[in-house]
Amino acid sequence: MATINLIDIIAVLMMGTSFAVFSLRQYRHSVLAYALQTLLLVAIFLALYDKYDSHELLVWSVTAFIIKVVCVPLYLLRLIKKLGVVVEDEPVGGFFISPVVALSFSLAVAMMFYKVFIHFSIFKDVLPLFAASFIFMMGIFGFILRTSFLKQILSYCLFENGIHLSLALMAYTSHELVEVGILTDAVFAVIIMSILAKRFYASYGSLNTSKAVNLRG
Amino acid sequence: MDLLLLILTVPFAFGVIMFLMPLHFKFLQTFHILLSVIVSSLLLCAVSKVVNKEVLSLFHDFIFLDSMGAIFLSLIAITGLLANVYATTYMKWELEGGHISLREVKNYFALSFIFTWTMSLSVLCNNIAFMWAAIEATTLASVFLVSVHNDKKSTESGYKYIVLCSIGLAFALYATILLYSAANGKIDGEAMLYTNLLANAASLDPMALKLVFIFALIGFGTKAGLAPTHTWLPDVHAEGPAPTSALLSGVLLKCAMLGLIRYYAVVANGVGFDFVETIMAVSGTLTLFVSAFFLIRQHNVKRMFAYHSIAHMGVIAFGLGVGGAIGLFAALFHCAAHSFTKALAFCSTGNIARIYGTKDMTKMGSMIRIAPLTAVLFGIAICSLVGVPGFAIFVSEFLIFKAAAIDGKYILMGIFAVALAIIFIADFSHFFLASFGKVEGKVEHNGEMKLSENLPLIALAVLIVSFGVWQFDSFTFLLDQSVKTILKQ
Repeated sequence: MATINLIDIIAVLMMGTSFAVFSLRQYRHSVLAYALQTLLLVAIFLALYDKYDSHELLVWSVTAFIIKVVCVPLYLLRLIKKLGVVVEDEPVGGFFISPVVALSFSLAVAMMFYKVFIHFSIFKDVLPLFAASFIFMMGIFGFILRTSFLKQILSYCLFENGIHLSLALMAYTSHELVEVGILTDAVFAVIIMSILAKRFYASYGSLNTSKAVNLRG
Repeated sequence: MDLLLLILTVPFAFGVIMFLMPLHFKFLQTFHILLSVIVSSLLLCAVSKVVNKEVLSLFHDFIFLDSMGAIFLSLIAITGLLANVYATTYMKWELEGGHISLREVKNYFALSFIFTWTMSLSVLCNNIAFMWAAIEATTLASVFLVSVHNDKKSTESGYKYIVLCSIGLAFALYATILLYSAANGKIDGEAMLYTNLLANAASLDPMALKLVFIFALIGFGTKAGLAPTHTWLPDVHAEGPAPTSALLSGVLLKCAMLGLIRYYAVVANGVGFDFVETIMAVSGTLTLFVSAFFLIRQHNVKRMFAYHSIAHMGVIAFGLGVGGAIGLFAALFHCAAHSFTKALAFCSTGNIARIYGTKDMTKMGSMIRIAPLTAVLFGIAICSLVGVPGFAIFVSEFLIFKAAAIDGKYILMGIFAVALAIIFIADFSHFFLASFGKVEGKVEHNGEMKLSENLPLIALAVLIVSFGVWQFDSFTFLLDQSVKTILKQ
């Protein structure tokens, strides 16, 4: 019983951290919130391993810790330092409105999705399934509502975490190469987006993607 | 050594080797052509085995090559080779014009092998999650083939490409996870394998399959350029170098479409063909009319062809929407016909940009006198794109009409005819603007390209006409087999 509660508590904390990654104005704080969220993801993998004796999730937790808790946040912190940026520009709808919009719509979509997912999921844990959809949608709204390139990279990381949690709950028995393939893609995506962010900053003098209006028609 | 294993290793190894080569253009040019020929030969060798009814699989069916995969692998081999050969000429001009450094050219050649590797992998994966990973990897491998320069436009196109495709494909991954969890424990064997899913589609939950298909359509449809999530495509195809645009439009879009067709087959056999056909017909119609609307307004030759790519992905979707054996045959044939045509179209824009120094068609004119061969090749691409009889695309568009007529889908026939008529008018007005009359801007290269430089374009033109007037038995066999697989006949 204690383990079940722990999984639910971690799931709620993950949702809270996704809101923090989305809303925090300082890039550094956002990256640290992402690192904390991924640490919670690792914790949920371990808790699921403990509860269901699913050995695969133990391996997943180790790889996720090395790649997503340590390497990706360090890489992003280095990028922030290199660019010398501290706070993001005002996003679409302002700093207050956009988190409220993202939060409410993500909750609504997650309410819809989790009911379908739980029907087919290997693990029938309600809150983690809800959290997975919520985090995924927060990432999608991050892309739509935040105009900072760095925030969009973090949004990518967010929805990738949502997918990773879904994968653990719904398809952890799949071939081990599947997780390797998806993680490799995620890491390369972050690296390539970071290189483009550097180029973007050099070209536009800012990370504000709303300035990218040269290609239209 | 197993042929599939060679295909999975050689292009990647060539990419790494190319990164390590010395900075000498003549050497890089020759080496690039040589390695491209080797890669394409390997791919075509695998295709020929499928034509000879051999079953190719690896790692307990994790990797496989079926007839449908063989069609798309042959596109990677043929269109990929010709676009890569043209790239050596195009990069020589860019180098001479001082638009690019030798190191950037070397990186471009190396990345094109990595790109070919990811596309081949996406075609060969039987494991649907790994197929998704390979399709996502095609985006990552091609970002710097598009965003070659460090200027604002190039960076913007790279940014839009990776961001929009990544968001779209995330939905496709959800489709994959949902399909696996719906099948896991309910079917015999590994629930992540496409062949197992297709064989047991009837035992899967219909409601789950419907949701899976909608997610897959959003995901793979974004990557394939279907409206309304097509917005990345005009910017990326118009901004990248001509050979990159040829590869993206001629091959990459088809790889994403193959992913969608595999989901189409599983879902259709699970919930019935009516559901997937209705959705694809709506998606195809929307895509055709959105692209036709933007096509009329275009004066940038590359953007015009980019909207054409969207239009023709709409035609493929429409073919899948019309359905039946003939509709499916037409959709798959259109993948090949459009691949050759669009590769020729984009490669000819490379010649045109060299002649006029601009992509704006209002500043062109008199191309038929300045560079007659380029004008003819450009004309062949346009004729095929609008479906003139005797050119490859006519065959598939005619077959879509035929499939709709046989099934009594007259409303669909009407919609298709109106969309094609708009595209026809828009295209020919643009073609006449560029090819005839007076030059409105300036001419930077007054003369035709060398014959050797035009050879890949001529080969593509020959393919377009050949597929328009001739029936290739081996290719028809692959198409027939693929249709039978989808229809489970």
